[in-house]
Amino acid sequence: MMTYIDYKTLLPRTVIGVLIGLFVIIPVFTTSVITLSILISSGIWAIAVMGFVLILRTGQFSMGQAAFMALGGYASAILTVNLRMPFWPSFLLAGVISGIIALIIGLVVLRVGGIYFSIITLAFGEIVRILAQYMEGITRGVRGIIPPPPPTISLAGLEINFAAGNPVPYYYFMVLLVAIASLVFWQIGRSRLGGTFASLALNQVLAEHQGIHLMKYRVIAFTVAGVFTGFAGAYYTNFLSIITPLMFGLWQSIQIMMMSIVGGVSSIVGGALIGATVLYTLGRYLSLLPIYNIQYLLFGAIVVLVLLFLPKGTGLVDLWGKFWRKVFREPEEYEMPEETEMAVE
Amino acid sequence: MPPAEIWIDGLVQSCIYMTMAFGMVLVFSILGILNWTHGQFYMLGAFVFYYAITTAARLRFHLPIYVSFPVSLLVSGIVVGGLGVLVEKLVIERLTSPGYGMLYVTAATLALIFFFEGAAGMSFGLLDKGLATVLPGVLELDSFSISYQKIAVIIFTLVIMISMYIVLNRTKVGLAIRAAAQEPTAASLYGISVGRVSLIVMGIGCALAAMAGGVMAPVYPINPFMGRLPMIFSLLAIIIGGLGSLTGAIVGGIILGLLNSVIAYYVSYLSEFVLFLLVIVILLVRPQGLFGAPIK
Repeated sequence: MMTYIDYKTLLPRTVIGVLIGLFVIIPVFTTSVITLSILISSGIWAIAVMGFVLILRTGQFSMGQAAFMALGGYASAILTVNLRMPFWPSFLLAGVISGIIALIIGLVVLRVGGIYFSIITLAFGEIVRILAQYMEGITRGVRGIIPPPPPTISLAGLEINFAAGNPVPYYYFMVLLVAIASLVFWQIGRSRLGGTFASLALNQVLAEHQGIHLMKYRVIAFTVAGVFTGFAGAYYTNFLSIITPLMFGLWQSIQIMMMSIVGGVSSIVGGALIGATVLYTLGRYLSLLPIYNIQYLLFGAIVVLVLLFLPKGTGLVDLWGKFWRKVFREPEEYEMPEETEMAVE
Repeated sequence: MPPAEIWIDGLVQSCIYMTMAFGMVLVFSILGILNWTHGQFYMLGAFVFYYAITTAARLRFHLPIYVSFPVSLLVSGIVVGGLGVLVEKLVIERLTSPGYGMLYVTAATLALIFFFEGAAGMSFGLLDKGLATVLPGVLELDSFSISYQKIAVIIFTLVIMISMYIVLNRTKVGLAIRAAAQEPTAASLYGISVGRVSLIVMGIGCALAAMAGGVMAPVYPINPFMGRLPMIFSLLAIIIGGLGSLTGAIVGGIILGLLNSVIAYYVSYLSEFVLFLLVIVILLVRPQGLFGAPIK
């Protein structure tokens, strides 16, 4: 059903280190607002995509991931603007609140799986959007909330100023956030927990007969995804310094799904990063073209083509993996039997 | 008690949700997937209908409206039904072959939403188009009035439902469809090509959606994004009626349309909220809906 990628054959540690180093020094070469804001937004969407893929690994198809971004964003904005809390506690609370709501929803909803779960999460996402739109007293409706920029931090004589128009601190904080999320999701993916998730997706009945409590692991995946998606939403809100109900609707949930498919669901971290960056960058540049709606057309076409020609959810990340193995590895290691590919790392 | 107009509006909505939900359930019962692109076939049907009607008018055919209206509907049904067959052949069939989970075909139909909306936006423009002058006039009854457009919607739905009943229960194709829905393996042992049945069913389902879009075109403005809401609502109708049951789709459509209209009369914008909540509760308490089979 899903092939899983062994990271050791995909990217050695040195290459990961070099990549992280490259991303860290990007602001040295360019402080262009457009480039950096594209990278920041891609990173934020990538975190949401990681959450989606984690839920997908338990065999469930969530259609309401953008709603958790909205919850996180609204939580942080309401806490700072309406309740006048300082920025950092409210940012942390946003993730916690989103996670708690995900836990509650998961406990109630994950009893029904499969297509019913998709529809319930869809309905949940729409409910969040409608509430945000019409609870004018708290959320200011479609006018949206405008959170103040995070306060300046003085760190060892260094002034980190989150003022508008200066994307560099936002960029570094995004890198930090993505690094933490990647680390957590990567560890989940390769740990016993990730194996359990995979067993749920591959054969639910067999997993249940092995003594695996389905509900428990589904809820764990859903909650972890909820926490990080909430952080992503809170940070996106503060980066754009606005949140409106229309920013995180059903269509953004579908966009998250599309990013995950293009990147490849076989790898939680790599696929999410590649998919989000490729699609977000593409969409941003396509929207500059004078042809309206071409990004919708191309997004849809790309996803369908990826599904048809890079089948079973391997996506772009596996294309890269094949290339890597072909160039840098011995041929006999490249021709792995099907069983080892299917085996969970 | 809301006035009669509210009930009539609800009935008109019911008709559309019913037709669309019927097509979706038909596709689900054979292919085992929810076709999330259904709303976009509704939208494309409305556009084809618009161009058929306006072209007929521009070429000065001087057809009476009771000829050009059904003919345009048929045209939109055939064109979009053909498109649906193409989608099933090119995309869905390849992704439902053994070894694939349901996830990928769901993802593909979701992505096709964007594809068709983008294509429609690029080729027809993003502005609203109106067809309000196609069926002018209002039928005055003593205490209330109905516009002819809404009467057309209701008559269309009756015709569609009766003809679908006849097709499914009185023809060989219908027999094949029912057999394939019940037990695909056994059906193929009796010489029914399940692949061909799924093509036929996809064509019928998409044609139904397209004709629903066409018949609604004079009532609502036409734009590339008009398919989103009817799709979600017909999905809710399917849930209320029970996934996989054709009777359920019809009853669910009626319930949902009337509920939406009546709740909106009392709490205006909160009606969608109430409906989504209702659907969540139904899914939690009785996931198989009113008429559905128990979940496997």
